[in-house]
Amino acid sequence: MIDLENVDVAFDDFTAVANVDLGIDDGEFVTVVGPSGCGKTTLLRAIGGLQEPTAGRVTIDDRAPSVAQEVGDIGFVFQQHTLLPWKSALENVVFLRKMADKPPDREGAHALLETMGLDGFEDARPAALSGGMKQRVAIARAIHLGADVLLMDEPFGELDEITRDELGVEIRSLWRRERKTIVFVTHSVPEAVFLGDRCVVMRDQPGRIEATFDIDLPGPRDTESLGSQAFQEQVAAVRQTLHESYD
Amino acid sequence: MTERITVTGSGAVYPASALCAGVALWWALTELGDIPPFLLPAPDAVVARLAGNPELYLVNALYTLEKVVYGGAIGIGAGIALAAFVAYVPWFRRAVYPYLVTVRVLPKLAIAPLLLIYLGTGMTTAIVFVALITFFPLVLNTAAGLDRTPTAHHYLLRSVDAGPIERILYVDVPYAIPDIFAGLKQSVTLAVVGAVVAEWVVADNGLGFLILMGSENVRPDVMLAALVVLLLVGLALYGIVVLVQRRVHERLGLEVLD
Repeated sequence: MIDLENVDVAFDDFTAVANVDLGIDDGEFVTVVGPSGCGKTTLLRAIGGLQEPTAGRVTIDDRAPSVAQEVGDIGFVFQQHTLLPWKSALENVVFLRKMADKPPDREGAHALLETMGLDGFEDARPAALSGGMKQRVAIARAIHLGADVLLMDEPFGELDEITRDELGVEIRSLWRRERKTIVFVTHSVPEAVFLGDRCVVMRDQPGRIEATFDIDLPGPRDTESLGSQAFQEQVAAVRQTLHESYD
Repeated sequence: MTERITVTGSGAVYPASALCAGVALWWALTELGDIPPFLLPAPDAVVARLAGNPELYLVNALYTLEKVVYGGAIGIGAGIALAAFVAYVPWFRRAVYPYLVTVRVLPKLAIAPLLLIYLGTGMTTAIVFVALITFFPLVLNTAAGLDRTPTAHHYLLRSVDAGPIERILYVDVPYAIPDIFAGLKQSVTLAVVGAVVAEWVVADNGLGFLILMGSENVRPDVMLAALVVLLLVGLALYGIVVLVQRRVHERLGLEVLD
């Protein structure tokens, strides 16, 4: 359970995040959507312990995020893949777990890469992989870490739309399999609606929560649900809230 | 990008031809150009000089090499150590870095006579001078290299509570490797320059000293022979750095950029 109570993050004279209250249950998939510069990345960093709140409190299972960091319970995926260019895909996946002082599990990493469609690319260096594959390796790295909480900061931001859709479907099925708690930051409304069980809409200056939507889409989410009416309606509702906050 | 100069098969034909043409031109100048041998000896005279007393050139090459190796090792070691301080100790960086950049403009050769006063004539002065001249490229290149790690990597390591030592060893240093080699290449070239200048100013041995003696006695054949050996020493040292770089870059899967 992730709990944010009255969280403020201010830099100098500028408030990036103001008065955020948010509770996220174990195994929940929450998306955070908002315009660029609305503080959603700062919020994610505060959850992950990379940014100390200037006021309020963040806890993960009633402990400070730094404790969760120590036990390797937080898996970050950034917009940049942050793979080490001199390591193979497999070595990159294994590396983070090693840095977290967890026992090695090369077979597990191997199997994970396989399920993520990277069979045969275990020994390839990042330079030989496409943008989508690199991000797949980065996601595999976060899952292999064995963290219960995955924090994703626009991980598909630099990918083309078709790859984004594909990876979105994969992330959803991965989440169904692994039942991790996922907080996923994006500025794409359709992406936020497609992925999340709950979608948090933020507005800027200062960054704060404008509204929260429970997303209910019938059936398993796949590329077909992107065309469904329920999906379109939800997207329209979220979009309207986003635009209303600027009127 | 691959190596700019690939000396394999037919690729070697052009530079080899150019070398032959150069030597032929030199020979033609001395033979047909009516230039007296005490100004410009023929190529074969230089070769004869080398072949006539190989020991002299070998012994002096070793003297020069000694200064290069000791001075270079100290300069490179100190350079990398200082670069680590610059990269990781913020107040030190603020205090010292501007001066490191400023001093780069100063021709280090001009310091040699000063060292003569402080350290006297002899090996120590030569080694200190070589160390000084090799030091600067290493500091500046290594410090820049250690800064090269993208910030997101630091976030990633912090998110699993990895310490600074792990970050430096596993991420920062590999990212800095190309810069360290760029510094080494400059340093190794400068080390030979430094050793020769030191030999002019303080030493009574080495290839630089031999060149100086050749000049005083108007023996261009001796000077040219010493220069040829000096060139070979310089090439060998540079070659070693390139070879090591290639091995390291292969292991790291980096491209060799030079």
